[in-house]
Amino acid sequence: MTTLNVVRTLAKTGSPYRRAIVASTRSASSAVRPSSQQSIIPLSNVEAQWEKLSSDEQLTVHQQLEALQKKDWKELSIDEKKAAYYVAFGPHGPRAPIKPPGANTTIFFGTIGAIAVSSIIFALIRSRAPPPPKTMTKEWQEAATEQAKERRENPITGMPLYAFTT
Amino acid sequence: MSLRILSSLVRTRASAPRLIAAPITSRYSSSGHGQESFEAFSDRYVTFFQSVQDIFELQRGLNNCFAHDLVPSTAVVEAALRAARRVDDYSTAVRIFEGIKEKVENQGQYDAYLRELKSVKDELGVQTKEELYA
Repeated sequence: MTTLNVVRTLAKTGSPYRRAIVASTRSASSAVRPSSQQSIIPLSNVEAQWEKLSSDEQLTVHQQLEALQKKDWKELSIDEKKAAYYVAFGPHGPRAPIKPPGANTTIFFGTIGAIAVSSIIFALIRSRAPPPPKTMTKEWQEAATEQAKERRENPITGMPLYAFTT
Repeated sequence: MSLRILSSLVRTRASAPRLIAAPITSRYSSSGHGQESFEAFSDRYVTFFQSVQDIFELQRGLNNCFAHDLVPSTAVVEAALRAARRVDDYSTAVRIFEGIKEKVENQGQYDAYLRELKSVKDELGVQTKEELYA
């Protein structure tokens, strides 16, 4: 509908584009006219082809559908109804889905893969690291605590001065 | 609330003369909007859709009508469907049912709408999206 309206308003307003657009519309319709009764673009297949159609062909389909919808709606075939609905409100243009189909599985396995790779890198780096220093053993730390008790160290502010002098 | 704030302000300023002894009769501009009843809303949109003359007006009216926190009554939907017939736009007629499905709370309410609108639906030959893509 929008393309049609744009063409119409442009044709009405008489902008510099007018001649070109009117000419192109004319050429499109004249090119289509001989077989337009046969519908050069089969309406049953509009949903599959719509994105690939040129704007002239889309305009032709628009015009076909507009003429079709003027008839009694009970006479329309289901394909014509589907085509009319798809062209007006189908998932194309601004209504196209943000994610392509099957994107959810790709995202899921991609995330799992990234986590796996980073875990492997982490494990590799850890395996090649030097052992922890000797002061990190439990025995060493207990012995350090014992020594601190002997020297009567203040648990908050650390060693008293006489611990260094003796 | 603001009355209480005002009075407490007055109380704290002991030297201020007691001017605000009389009750405030003026209405605050932020309160007191007129409430449109559901029936008035329906009537308004029925008359709107009955006077619709082109596709743009129809779709604009549908946008406005379905933007409220309510499901439009069957009378409104019927007027909208007939407006769609008048401007020869089948796809918008299908879209109206899609809009109802979006607005109702559950499938049962949607089925009730479909039952209620069955006569006009059959008369115009409108099918819902589910029926089209069954």
